[in-house]
Amino acid sequence: MDLSIFGAMSTPIQVRGLVKRFGRALALDSLDLEVASGEVHGFLGPNGAGKSTTIRILLGLARASAGEVTVFGRDPWKEASALHRLIAYVPGDVSIWPNLTGGEAVDLLGRLRGSPDDKAGYRGRRDRLVEAFQFDPRKKGRAYSKGNRQKVALIAAFATPADLYIMDEPTSGLDPLMEVVFDREVARVAAEGATVLLSSHILSEVEELCDRVSIIRAGRTVESGTLAELRHLTRTQITFSAEGQVDMAGDALKGAAAPGSLKGIPDVHDVIVDHGRLTFTIDSDRVAAVLPELARRNVQGLTVAPPSLEELFLRHYGDEIVPGRTSERAVAAARV
Amino acid sequence: MSALGLLLGLRLRRDRVQLALWIIGTAALALFATVSLADTFGSADERRTLLALAIATPAVLVFRGTPNGAGLDEVTFFAIFAFLALLAGLMSTFLAVRHTRGDEEQGRAEMVSATSAGRMTPVLATLVHGIGANAVLGAAVAVAFVAGGLDATGSGVAGAAVAACGVAFLAFGLFAAQVLRTSRGANGLSVAFVVGAYVLRGLGDAAGTASPDLLSVTPAWPSRLSPIGWAQRTGAWNQNDLMPLLLDLVFAAVLVAVVLALQSVRDTGASLLAPRAGRATAPAALSGSFGLAWRLTRAGVLAWAVGAFVAGVLATTLTTLVGRIGEQAPEVAATLGRLSRAGSTLEQALVATIFSLVGMLAAACAIQVMIRARQEETSGTAELLLGSSPVGRLRWAATYVGAGAVGIAIVLLAAFLGAVLGAAGGGETSAAIGDAAQAAVGQVPVALVFLGVALVVFVLLPALTVPLTWSLLGLATILGIFGGLIGLPEWIVDLSPFANSPVPAGDSVDWTGGVWMLVIAAAAITGGTVIAGRRELRTGG
Repeated sequence: MDLSIFGAMSTPIQVRGLVKRFGRALALDSLDLEVASGEVHGFLGPNGAGKSTTIRILLGLARASAGEVTVFGRDPWKEASALHRLIAYVPGDVSIWPNLTGGEAVDLLGRLRGSPDDKAGYRGRRDRLVEAFQFDPRKKGRAYSKGNRQKVALIAAFATPADLYIMDEPTSGLDPLMEVVFDREVARVAAEGATVLLSSHILSEVEELCDRVSIIRAGRTVESGTLAELRHLTRTQITFSAEGQVDMAGDALKGAAAPGSLKGIPDVHDVIVDHGRLTFTIDSDRVAAVLPELARRNVQGLTVAPPSLEELFLRHYGDEIVPGRTSERAVAAARV
Repeated sequence: MSALGLLLGLRLRRDRVQLALWIIGTAALALFATVSLADTFGSADERRTLLALAIATPAVLVFRGTPNGAGLDEVTFFAIFAFLALLAGLMSTFLAVRHTRGDEEQGRAEMVSATSAGRMTPVLATLVHGIGANAVLGAAVAVAFVAGGLDATGSGVAGAAVAACGVAFLAFGLFAAQVLRTSRGANGLSVAFVVGAYVLRGLGDAAGTASPDLLSVTPAWPSRLSPIGWAQRTGAWNQNDLMPLLLDLVFAAVLVAVVLALQSVRDTGASLLAPRAGRATAPAALSGSFGLAWRLTRAGVLAWAVGAFVAGVLATTLTTLVGRIGEQAPEVAATLGRLSRAGSTLEQALVATIFSLVGMLAAACAIQVMIRARQEETSGTAELLLGSSPVGRLRWAATYVGAGAVGIAIVLLAAFLGAVLGAAGGGETSAAIGDAAQAAVGQVPVALVFLGVALVVFVLLPALTVPLTWSLLGLATILGIFGGLIGLPEWIVDLSPFANSPVPAGDSVDWTGGVWMLVIAAAAITGGTVIAGRRELRTGG
């Protein structure tokens, strides 16, 4: 069965209305996800949103309770073994065999994937990755730290070519230097035409690597699109020195009470004067219109920060951060 | 290479030392039993007397099996087969759980199942690996019997019977791994099943009907419910009938079919029985470092205590029977005498023998508590405790010494209570209770010595804590408790702490050895604790 031809032709990941129940608990509540061929897709959500559950279903390790899930056009539960020849998987918390060395574990995982015919090519890639990740392959599994166990899975994944890379918070435990190596490898496989699904709760990681992102929350997709599309939904932050702008600051504070009334600058939001600096946000497509106004006032120390996904993220999950019922429950429990 | 081949290779690689030890140990037990029976009961008359006695005292049949003829080979099968089947069962269930639920729990199964191996191949590889291990075990047992001078055909049947039992238990281990969420739970259920099969067969055998010549017993129905009972009906060296083994294999096949069906429908990591939710807040007892140490070790301590309780019951129950043996079979009495010190009465010798086994259990309990300290150190939880509380290294180590001492006290007390219950059940005199009390107190020094030794090993050679402490205990047990039986010189036997425990001899007790061991234990514990206070935590080697 030549799956690679098949793989190139169909959508790598297509999920519609995916539901997963664990007993009475609803882990995934009609989740949608579509990953096109050759794209690096960010899969974002806070802990417990259902990222890992979705990934386990995509790998055929868990079965969907309802909904449609296909990987390269096939049912991952029924055809797991055949699909896994096309997929490289990196879990977020890697556990390796205590009495095998890291190098042995890498080779074993590679062979289990169905190692390619060119042994020399595999050797070369593996040795290069061992070098790049500064990994000591001779230590026994039990002696590795979390970051080093993570490297075992990463090296095994990148050393054998795959059509689809599924990675569940793959950089947890890696130091920033190693994250750079990881980014480079993702860029390399993407350039070679592979598809990557990268789950994360670290936004900067996704922001740098991904073409498109899907944001999920409580088992449901809340936002999906290219970064540009999502940035459209976020606001740009503008900050400058408040010194000599007392009137404006005064106006600004009034403006905070009634958004939109800042003299000469329409539609400003979140105005704050703090440590001698004035900050406000504005819809990103209005930035150009605001700049002449700021120039007219001769503002000093101007910074214009591009919109970050962080903001989008907070907007979707912001209410979870606000204290409320959780703390009341905690108080009630403490009384008991 | 195919995924099945790779995973099989991985299993062999992981188990090479462990399985070799199980197989060699079990075969050695078979050989040792053959040789020692030939030595002790060389003549047919002696063996007939032995069988008649055994049939007269069903308690013996519970632990051994059913007599099936007075030939040396038939008596060997009667005496040792159930033990061998028990060992094959434990080896097989641990193997099954280790490579299925154990890997799932650790998250390794997820990584393996995300390759072309898929969800089914790991289970199939474990099945093939387990069947292979039992085939080798059966062959090794057969070779051991042949080496002991027994007929080859019967040896082959006996080996096949052991292997078939192993395969039946292997299938149960795989099943338990499907049903329960943790490898700990699956191992517990499997051990309960294996021991249950052994006990069920024991009850059936004890309730069996003896032949008129007092040379064989037909087991009662409970034996026919046990995989070990089925395999025993092969009647190795007598009937040499392999048909009953089909029952074991059919049992295994049915369970494997259920296992494969469950594996094909369940999520990786999920289980048939969902785990219960634990408590949300810590109980009052879980405060301070001792509370934590006790919480981490109490389940183990209680398990050792249950074993000690059973041993205690046996000690006094069997005392009644020993009087009879002394009159009817002097050679048995002589064997028991060799196991113990000179100058004891036969009853005292028996109580002392069984209580030296209790002493071993208490020492094992103490070792396990110290190993727990080591596990805390390697897993990083000790670091968490020491780094985030005012508990210092010295106090932390002392906490585990304290938990070990409490464990020893509980194990010995359980044995004593068992002995009191056994004596009361047999209508025994208070003399037996007094002997048991003395024997229990007499085991305190040897258990403390092992607590101290385990502490010193943990402090000075942390990486060797597990293998070295268990090896020392095993060596001391073989030398001290069984050394006399296999005819080792007295000075070698006396090297073992167990040989120096104070035992009642006549009306007096010689406490010299006990006092010396207390001094050694005190020195080891004090020294070890002080060094622990100065030593840094060592997570690696």
